Amino acid sequence: MLSRLHHEPPPSREPERVRRLLGFVRRFLRHRRALAFGVACIPVVAACDIRLTLWFGDALTRLQAEEDPAFLKGLFFAILGVAAVQGLFRYLQRWWIVGVSRKVEAELKQELFDKLESLPLAFHVQSRSGDIISRLTSDVENVRMLIGPGSMYVLGSLFMVPGSLAVLFHISPGVTLAMSFPLLLVTVAMMIMTPKLQRHSTAVQESLAEIAARAQESFAGVRVVKGYGLVRHEIARFRAVSETNRTHQLKLARVSGLQDAWIHLSYDLAFLPVLVVGGWAMIDRTLAVGDLFKFIDLGFKVFWPVIALGWIAGLFPRAVASAQRIDEVLDQRSEIVEANDARTLPSVAGALALREVSYVYAGAARPALTGITLDVPAGTTLGVVGPTGSGKSTLLNLLGRLFEAQGEIRLDGVPVKSLTLDCLRGALAYVPQDSFLFSDTYRANLEFGADGPLDEAALRGLVEQVAMTSEVNAFPSGLEQLIGERGVTLSGGQRQRTCIARALARDPRVLILDDALSAVDTETESRLLASLRRAGRGRTVVVAAHRLGTVRAAEQILVLREGRPEALGTHEELLERSRWYRETWERQRMSAELAEL
Amino acid sequence: MANALAEELDKDEVATKAWDSAVLGRLWRFATPHRGKFALSFAILACLFFLELASPWMLKHAIDGPITAASTARAALEGGEFDASPYLRELAWWGLAYLVVVLLAAVFRYLEENQLTRTGQAVVTDLRAHLFAHMQALELSWFDRHPTGSLVTRVTNDVENLNELFTSGLIVLLFDMIKVAVVLVLLFLVSPPLAFLVLVLTPVLIGVSLVFRGGARRAHRSVRARLARLNGYLQEVLSGIRVVQVFRREQRVSRRFGAQLADVNEAHFRTIQLFALFFPIVAWVTVLIQAGVLWRGGYAIHGHAITFGDFILFWFWLQVFVGPIRELGERYNVLQSAFASAERIFLILDTPATLAEPAASRALALPFRGHVRFEHVSFAYDPRSPVLSELSFEIPPGATVALVGATGAGKSTIVNLLLRFYDPTSGRITIDGVDLRELDTQAFRERLGLVLQEDFLFTGTVRENLVLGRAHVSPESMARALEVSAANDIVQRLPMGLDTELAERGATLSTGERELIAIARALAGNPALVILDEATSSVDSATEARIEAATYELLRARSALVVAHRLSTVRRADKILVLHHGKLRESGTHAELLAHNGIYARLHALQFREPE
Repeated sequence: MLSRLHHEPPPSREPERVRRLLGFVRRFLRHRRALAFGVACIPVVAACDIRLTLWFGDALTRLQAEEDPAFLKGLFFAILGVAAVQGLFRYLQRWWIVGVSRKVEAELKQELFDKLESLPLAFHVQSRSGDIISRLTSDVENVRMLIGPGSMYVLGSLFMVPGSLAVLFHISPGVTLAMSFPLLLVTVAMMIMTPKLQRHSTAVQESLAEIAARAQESFAGVRVVKGYGLVRHEIARFRAVSETNRTHQLKLARVSGLQDAWIHLSYDLAFLPVLVVGGWAMIDRTLAVGDLFKFIDLGFKVFWPVIALGWIAGLFPRAVASAQRIDEVLDQRSEIVEANDARTLPSVAGALALREVSYVYAGAARPALTGITLDVPAGTTLGVVGPTGSGKSTLLNLLGRLFEAQGEIRLDGVPVKSLTLDCLRGALAYVPQDSFLFSDTYRANLEFGADGPLDEAALRGLVEQVAMTSEVNAFPSGLEQLIGERGVTLSGGQRQRTCIARALARDPRVLILDDALSAVDTETESRLLASLRRAGRGRTVVVAAHRLGTVRAAEQILVLREGRPEALGTHEELLERSRWYRETWERQRMSAELAEL
Repeated sequence: MANALAEELDKDEVATKAWDSAVLGRLWRFATPHRGKFALSFAILACLFFLELASPWMLKHAIDGPITAASTARAALEGGEFDASPYLRELAWWGLAYLVVVLLAAVFRYLEENQLTRTGQAVVTDLRAHLFAHMQALELSWFDRHPTGSLVTRVTNDVENLNELFTSGLIVLLFDMIKVAVVLVLLFLVSPPLAFLVLVLTPVLIGVSLVFRGGARRAHRSVRARLARLNGYLQEVLSGIRVVQVFRREQRVSRRFGAQLADVNEAHFRTIQLFALFFPIVAWVTVLIQAGVLWRGGYAIHGHAITFGDFILFWFWLQVFVGPIRELGERYNVLQSAFASAERIFLILDTPATLAEPAASRALALPFRGHVRFEHVSFAYDPRSPVLSELSFEIPPGATVALVGATGAGKSTIVNLLLRFYDPTSGRITIDGVDLRELDTQAFRERLGLVLQEDFLFTGTVRENLVLGRAHVSPESMARALEVSAANDIVQRLPMGLDTELAERGATLSTGERELIAIARALAGNPALVILDEATSSVDSATEARIEAATYELLRARSALVVAHRLSTVRRADKILVLHHGKLRESGTHAELLAHNGIYARLHALQFREPE
């Protein structure tokens, strides 16, 4: 699905790579007003910077000519004024350009997010969420860094470096040429060393991840570690990965120390011709002391822009690789789409019909589900049972077209593929096996099921239906209680009941429960089931369960074994016909007895 | 709502002190063994600093020396023939000296980062190992109380923060202060009035830097917290994508994500604003100082109080002076997060390991016979609810004792006590007649054959997993173990045999295969005493039969304590102990207990899997 590359960009051709980045540049150009303002500030900042140096230098030259220093007072305020103007433009430049880069970042994240939401479950099952999140975070950041602040620094350098050199060339062509070459070495150093640095810092990051993995394993397996007397062994192993990290850190320091030394040396060397050739010219009286100062001060000021140029050049390959990883997500196409002539049903009764339905997960050797044919008349209940991995959840997921089934599934006689997704999924409500809830308020979680805000009475009614009233009343903030990470932690049973309430908020024609009562005690379960039946007269229910008691009253029960239908019938019929069903029923009954011992 | 929450998040990360001498004192104890490295770091920094100061000084002498001398001489000649060569020669010498200095500086600059990293890493690697070893010594319940993720953070991020402290934090900060002081003195030597001017304006620079520091930290914290929330939401939506799609809530969720993105950006914009203000303000204050120096310096030059060379020297040294002051805020922040990390680390180091080794632990007497006695053993994690009461039983050498009971009956507590994860609240456990508390725990555990319900395998090769660092496991005993446990063909099927790397938790193997490998691992040590907590997970019947056979081999002719889930295992046990609510309720052989028709008879029908 998504390529598993992380660090090394693939060997793609140069024009191709540039085209990818251009796509992202275009996103920036959508904000051309702010960008234009920001870019317009850049030459002003550079011009002020050069102006200041020239004034300082000229002042020294005038002092050398023994002029009356009274001019210094006026100059002092002029300098402060120009510096203030420069500061203002520097502020605006940063505000506009970096600001745009953040806006583009947000737009890109939103687009990626919407894309991910639209991709079918088959995509999500196959990709690791960590990988997707890193595309949405660090990859987006890499691209932003290059096109946003990166281009700001490049543009700044493009004004500052040639501008300064031109001014200096005007003063003394020889000295300027002589000092340009070492400055060029700075850029070269950055271009060569930045990828090396990135490689080494990746190695450091990876060895840190290795430390984390070792620690994680050692702490998670602490019983085995201690039980086998492995403490000394584990400490030795931990020390080894820690040493590897140290080795990489030292290598990284060597490369970055080398880069640092090289950059500063190049810069220092640029002053050698200033000192010798410039000094010569001063002895020759072709250069004033103020001119020498201009060389020194402007040399200092172009130092950082020159470094920045190399730095950006070094960032380039990583940004291109990230651009590619982002595009991989944006280029994904959803296979579950509405037909062009998709229709809606004016009202849904809730009759389901399955004909030879099967499903194979991508890359799986055998189908997860095969040859399912059955009818669920509107208003009846279908129970689905079978051992772990027999295909119960897969079957339930096919009903709402989360996966695209082979064979045919019909709702009220109409194939689900020819219905709009709004019509199909609007008629369904689903209670997931993992009882997924959002870390949000209790109210928001219930309203997630409804098409709009619910009034107090409706909410209370839902809570009552799932037997949560006393628990919700006990929450410090009642319905507004935050649940999950930052709020109260719900027990497994409470989560399941809340998921059911969320599904009921939809008043669905077809209610799908995926082992949704496993963590609820049997007494609460039977109360809940009774209340569901009362409230949902005429509603079709499809319920998968491990506990056979849950499906006992269903009109039909389907027994699945390794994806195949083993038997279909009522509870009594299955006790006769299915050995697995009978044995499981016996065992579960005894277990209940023992619990009361 | 979203905004109120975002603002609340901002306050969340608790600020800590940036300077804590008690913490620093403890950290210093980890640094003292590496005193030499610290001294060398300091020496290199000092040399580099000296060279940094030297190059402008040479520039000054070139200007005030040959260049000025030449122009005075030429002026004195009044248009006569001027011979520049001696002056040029002197200038060339200064150039050469400058070249030597900058080359030396490059060498020291290279050494600087190397040595700082070497120093920091030396301290931090020690500290990390010490911390990890200490954590390993803590008792089991401590690990149950702390989420694994946060423990991992202690040995990774927190230790990394301390690395920062030792490399770019403390040493550099200390040296920066020395630098500022030394340069200030030098500035006074060049020109007292100009230096005085700098001294007066410097507090403005420090003030700006410190005010900004606070703002930057708050802004960064707010960005971090909001970004964490955004990424958390993203993670949440990805894991609940089924629910989002079935409920057709894509747009609603997307809007919500958008709102959180806006929150993040609001914080970003505050940061941008801050930095966009800070850099120009610092630059302006720097220009203010420079312009002031030019104004006063101009008069000084005019009055011949200083030379042009002095002025340029002053100008350069001023740059050296301003640099560290600008970075003061940044360094302060490094210190602050490092101290917070140090506190978290010391909190762990201050947790005592409760199961103290006896003052004089007794080595396990060999040959180890595996004779276990529980004598009136009671245990409670919490005094109000005892888990075991007055339990006595014996495992004679070579006998298998099976524990049976419902969940919570106390079976795993007995295993934990025999492994000495905990000590009994009262009563005692003896091994070959010696109180378990007096034995060298590590040596005792190494001699056990242990198969736990979580068949935990480590990343590493299959061989490493079989040996597990036990010195007495030989290649022969390992081969024999694989043979009798029928795990041989599992190993043979693997691409590299025994040298195949296993993924995290042995994920490359199936459940049944992992269980067989775990049994082979126990067998490899040829243990006299086996502790077996049978897995409850279901495997296919062929594998089940193999596990049964391997279990039989494992238990044959050894003392064994078994938490049994397989009928075959329990049937073969010499004695079955039936526990109920921490008390021994029934005991006897399988046949005796079935005949008794009590708890065991019911449990038997319920728990023990018979092959289908």
